[in-house]
Amino acid sequence: MIKQDKPSSRRDFLRGAGVALALPWLESRAVAAAASKPPLRLGVLYFSNGVEPAHWWAKGAGASMEMGPALEPMRAHLGDFSFLKGLYNQQAFISTSPHLGRMPNMLSGATVSLDPNDIRVGTSFDQLLAQRIGGQSAVPSLALGIEPNELRLEDGLSMIYGSAISWATPTKPATKEIYPSRTFDLLVGDGSGRPLDRSVLDSVLAESHELQGRISRGDRHKLDEYLESIRDIEKRIEHSAKQGTLEGWRPTIEKPNMPRPAEGVPQDIPQHMKLMLDLIVLAFQMDKTRIVTCMLNNDLSQMNFKFVEGVKGALHLDLTHNGKLAATEAMYLKTNQYHIQQFAYLIDHMKKIDEGGGTTLLDNSMMIGGSNLFDGDTHGADQMPLLLAGKGGGTLQPGRVLDYLASGNNDKRRACSLYLSLMDRMGVKLDRFGDTGDRLTDL
Amino acid sequence: MNRRLYPFLLSGLSLFAATEGSAVLKQYCFTCHGNAASPAGGVSLTKLTAQPASMATHFQQWERVAVALEQKRMPPSKLPQPGDTERTQTAQWIRAKLSESARKNPGDPGRVTVRRLTSGEYAYSVRDLIGFDLKFDSDFGSDAVGGEGFTNFGDVQYMQDAKLERYLEAAKRIANHAVIGSGPLTFYQDPGKTGFELSAINRIHSIYRTHGFRSVSAEGGRPFGLERYAKAFYAAWRYKHRQALGEPTVTIDALSAREGLSTRFVQHVLNVIEQPAPTYPTTEIVTRFQALPAPGPGADAKVRAATAELQKYLINWTRVLFAAGELAAGGQGDERALVLTEESLAAKPSNSFRFLWRGRPKQTTKLYLTATSANPNAKDKALVIWKNPVVRFRKADRSAAPEQPFMTLLDQKTIERLSFGKRADGGPIDPTDFSSEAGQTITIDIASPADAGFGELTIEAALSEGAAGDAVLRCTVADREDLSKGRPPGYTLLGRPDREGFKTWKAGLLDFAANLPQTSHGEPTPADRDPIPPPYENAYNQPERDLYHTSVKYYRNDRFLVEKMLDDATRVKLDQAWADLYSSFEYHDTILSFVSDKYKLNLKPGIATLTRAQIDALPGEAKKFAQILRAEYESTRNAQLTAQPVHLDDSLRFAEKAWRRPLSAGEKDKLRAFYTKSREVSILDHAQAVRLLLTRILVSPAFLYRFEQQPAQTAGAKALSGWELASRLSYFLWSSVPDDELTRAARAGELSNPEHLARQTKRMLADPKARRFATEFFGQWLGFYRFDESRSVDTSRFPEFTDEVKLAMYDEAVSFFEHIVRQDRPVGEMLSADYTFLNAPLAKHYGVKQPVTSKVTMEMVKGVTASQRGGMLRLGAVLTATSAPLRTSPVKRGDWMLRRVLGTPTPPPPADAGSIPADDKAFGGQSVHERLASHQRNPTCAACHSKIDPLGFPFEHFDAVGRWREQYQDGKPILDSAKSGDGAEIAGIEGLLSYLKKNENQVLQNFSHKLLGYALGRTMLVSDLPLIDKMSQNGEANFSKLIQEVVTSRQFRYRRSADETAATVTAKNITKPGATK
Repeated sequence: MIKQDKPSSRRDFLRGAGVALALPWLESRAVAAAASKPPLRLGVLYFSNGVEPAHWWAKGAGASMEMGPALEPMRAHLGDFSFLKGLYNQQAFISTSPHLGRMPNMLSGATVSLDPNDIRVGTSFDQLLAQRIGGQSAVPSLALGIEPNELRLEDGLSMIYGSAISWATPTKPATKEIYPSRTFDLLVGDGSGRPLDRSVLDSVLAESHELQGRISRGDRHKLDEYLESIRDIEKRIEHSAKQGTLEGWRPTIEKPNMPRPAEGVPQDIPQHMKLMLDLIVLAFQMDKTRIVTCMLNNDLSQMNFKFVEGVKGALHLDLTHNGKLAATEAMYLKTNQYHIQQFAYLIDHMKKIDEGGGTTLLDNSMMIGGSNLFDGDTHGADQMPLLLAGKGGGTLQPGRVLDYLASGNNDKRRACSLYLSLMDRMGVKLDRFGDTGDRLTDL
Repeated sequence: MNRRLYPFLLSGLSLFAATEGSAVLKQYCFTCHGNAASPAGGVSLTKLTAQPASMATHFQQWERVAVALEQKRMPPSKLPQPGDTERTQTAQWIRAKLSESARKNPGDPGRVTVRRLTSGEYAYSVRDLIGFDLKFDSDFGSDAVGGEGFTNFGDVQYMQDAKLERYLEAAKRIANHAVIGSGPLTFYQDPGKTGFELSAINRIHSIYRTHGFRSVSAEGGRPFGLERYAKAFYAAWRYKHRQALGEPTVTIDALSAREGLSTRFVQHVLNVIEQPAPTYPTTEIVTRFQALPAPGPGADAKVRAATAELQKYLINWTRVLFAAGELAAGGQGDERALVLTEESLAAKPSNSFRFLWRGRPKQTTKLYLTATSANPNAKDKALVIWKNPVVRFRKADRSAAPEQPFMTLLDQKTIERLSFGKRADGGPIDPTDFSSEAGQTITIDIASPADAGFGELTIEAALSEGAAGDAVLRCTVADREDLSKGRPPGYTLLGRPDREGFKTWKAGLLDFAANLPQTSHGEPTPADRDPIPPPYENAYNQPERDLYHTSVKYYRNDRFLVEKMLDDATRVKLDQAWADLYSSFEYHDTILSFVSDKYKLNLKPGIATLTRAQIDALPGEAKKFAQILRAEYESTRNAQLTAQPVHLDDSLRFAEKAWRRPLSAGEKDKLRAFYTKSREVSILDHAQAVRLLLTRILVSPAFLYRFEQQPAQTAGAKALSGWELASRLSYFLWSSVPDDELTRAARAGELSNPEHLARQTKRMLADPKARRFATEFFGQWLGFYRFDESRSVDTSRFPEFTDEVKLAMYDEAVSFFEHIVRQDRPVGEMLSADYTFLNAPLAKHYGVKQPVTSKVTMEMVKGVTASQRGGMLRLGAVLTATSAPLRTSPVKRGDWMLRRVLGTPTPPPPADAGSIPADDKAFGGQSVHERLASHQRNPTCAACHSKIDPLGFPFEHFDAVGRWREQYQDGKPILDSAKSGDGAEIAGIEGLLSYLKKNENQVLQNFSHKLLGYALGRTMLVSDLPLIDKMSQNGEANFSKLIQEVVTSRQFRYRRSADETAATVTAKNITKPGATK
């Protein structure tokens, strides 16, 4: 233990406190230094409440691929994405909670705790990547959204579940950012290295350390979270100050090519979505982060889709559970098309950015678009509607329909296999993740 | 008698063997609830019965089992039913078992995880720390809900770098509102440099407002504080007659205090009145004062009235010198300040008027030429000679006709009246001229020609010669008699400035102005006609004057106030405020560079670098100004330096308030060291370093988390310290830091005494801050939390649901519960109240018949049951929040009743339930009973919906935006009754209310349960049951009684020791609540 009366170096203190954060940090620096071609990016664009199965299908390949009506907006991008059929999470499938037991675990395959006193899912694969290799960029990862975290219990369960697909730890969602302006500030920063902020953080860190001895074990756990948060900020500051000294590949732009968005949450939903998507592209383009998730809506979203022509009512109660009425089902389709249109917008944007060596930003990316439920009306978690766009830096062959349902073997169609395969490509190789140890075949 | 207490009392007797209760469950319930892997409704009785030891842990589920048996909710009617005795006995067996567990560890404080401030608590705490609201995003702290359904539940609160960044950002934002100048550390609504400047000007204004007075000065100025004169005269009168008034020893101090004046001011007025040789016009005041009635019957009231008259006289007589127009009433008029100065008292022997009037064709205009004496004591009897009058008419397009001799426009009578060529006192003058005496008004009718638009009179007014030269006349030319209204007339002051008589008169006026002024101070921000200080050119619309207004802006002109009125403490505050104002921008440098330019000195910019030698070397006038500037600069600078250690102390006090406890010596040292390091290592100036210190205090875990010290002992529980208890109490009731009184009580160690604790609680519940309890607790419990931000209603379907209505609905709900809390109403009134809180827009939305006038604020409206309002079931916010965007949702409303009001939620629907058949979704077209029937047809649905739907349909008369409706949109009638699970018919809200009355205990138990969960920040333990029972005695109990039960409970006042489990606690470790010192 370090003595209290000696403020000494904070690094000493960290070592003294026995914090094991050195390893992933060093690892990431090594990777970064070696990079000489554009880095690989990973993105997940999520929409809630599933689809109507009759509208979600694809067959054929490449430019001649045929698709169900929900995928209509992707027509301009045939050949840029693959249609993944039949992937699912076993723990979601068997959960007794139709919504919240099947959604926050989309990217982790973990079991959702249904005990109201214990919010627990599992670290999602994007956050796992952020922890392992997030240090390569100024911002380890972005977790974006359109709707705020909701403060209510749904069937006795906290709606924090329905508000987060990215989980930093099994018990803690990654802080979701819904403000375009704040996201922009996080990415762009002021380049000063924030000496005063660090001075404050160093000082409270020391204070927290003293506090440790006086509080209960349970409380110490909470304080640890706080300490970790401080260290994470400091790491980020440190890293962002060092950026630009790396050899080899450089981002295509160094300054943002869009204005800082206005303060506050935009009242207009389409405008809000567009801004967030633009910010994802900006983040990738400036290489400020390589890992992004974005929730177009929360689970059980009551987003009012009146901004889409011909649609009336709220996403969950009125449209998803449409009772198979032709008129409402048609509206439900339009909401799904709207979601896919956002994915298409993102893909389109990324395709247009040349990253040198004949590759585009999309070529150097792996972008998932989809939802956690298949049949939204029946909360079907037997498979997930997923698209995978981008060439993954040459490791993916888009333009195909990959049918994992056909084999009839449930062990061969785990979504976590997809995540393992994608993490491999990002340079993080795990033996197991979620409910499987297998990679996805034929990806 | 309470159902649960009953077995509790009998628990000494052995009721049933464990096997007996289990046997009934096994026989009737295991069919569905026996499958451990996927039991019906998620309730596995096999698991529950297999582990009797875990009964305490799962007591809530056991509770529900008992209720289900008693109320015959289970088993479903199609399955074999246990007999009534078996039901009762099994329920009693369960309860006896639970009571047994409860008694094992009564009042167990339980494991409470440290709580981070919720978004609401953070905002309230900041508000109470700095004194005003800073708008934070409502989801600022990314709250999560857990435990009993509240955000203040530590276990589910998490922290992450991005969130900590927000705290850091917020702390910096708050620190930026700190005012760090020459006074103590305060906070101001506007941040940064602007805030600093505005804070200073605001403090100056506030001192001027509170202590000063003024009649009319400059544009739009309104008089205030003049009654201080009347009061001071009255106090002076009492002092003068103190013997006769029967208080011979009364001091000026005491008399001043009675009148709310400073001693200094009353003493000054006395000095003026008692001076040996007053000059005119002070003599007028002294004479009138001396004439005040002597003490005697009725004299007091007479003197009050007379001093008020005296004050009016003092202010009004000077008007003779000006031409106020409507300015006196705050309207249009002469924009010059009506103050007696060298400038405003400037007079000359003659003046040429050019008076313009709007002359309508062929109409006659009356002109008034007036001369009024401004020196009634003058020896000279002076006249005004009106010379060379000429009139010229202009057409509407302003083209001029030739000048016309005045006389040609007058009728013979007028010509005779004016006596052209002859002075009023008989002497000769030019034949075109005429004269008038002081106090005389000459009226002249002038007819306009047929094509006239305007008339224009040119005339010269000259003062006649006199031996003493002391005549002073005010002359006006106007087209109306009453000059107090309308535009200011043309006017001038005629006098002979070079004559001794005039000089004496002027000296008397300036003396009067200095000692009995019209205004106690000049405005700190001079209006464009107010005087500005030298060396700036004071003439209106000159470049120097404009430069002054744009670059300097402020003028301290408050000598009378400071010297004759303010007490010492206020003087200090005013000086600090002015020092702050001067230092809020480059005040001294600006004026210095102006002086440099004006006197062509080519000084190097920056007052700080100007040495005494340099100043002494400056030429005459420039030297004077530079000396003043330098002195001002130094005093400002000194004031700031003196304040620096004060700010540091203030910051530590701020930390104590924010951290809700005294700081240890070590902590104080560390904070001081942090400041020093910021100054020395980070090279920050004082203000920056203080801001950084405040930032650091506000991102400290001691502020963000509500830590309670871990008891040192390894077992049992320990009473919280006074500080910890104060913090629990104030976050429970106010969602914020303790106030000064609670802090005092904590410091004095009073809170360990239950009587003191109860008194504080009572005080706090009545405080306006208890409204936050309505917002936070009731809002979260009943689901209207942040309803004001909700966007769930489809406003294209319901355009009447405007933001105004939405906010009013939210306010209605909060105000209703605020009333219950702060007025300490009976708990049952939450349901039965026949009043609610409305403003005009909401009353209109609801169609309430009672008159509601307030447009924004809520009024309490009584007797609203007839208009279908009143009580929590009829709150618009609740009715709307439990609806879908386009329609009502009886299922949501029924679920709300079960979950929130009764505390007996049904399990969630099975995942594959999907949506109910299409015909049921078309709610508009179908009757309630048709819908109900289809739920009943499907046994999977029926199990729960037979409980939910009957509690939701009775709300059907209220539409999706909370309004009463007589029929559906398609004209179909509304059926708002349904059969409840036990077969009883529930019709409308009245039906629901009697249903709840019948189940009152259940409602109260649930309410108490939630209340306790909110207070403790943890889920309920079986050992909480006795307290919950005690809290839920009956609906007649006043709200504060429940709160007192919570606050004085052992659970609330103790903390469980290190990491122990309830099982290890034995009875001997338990101290009874109230038994501690």
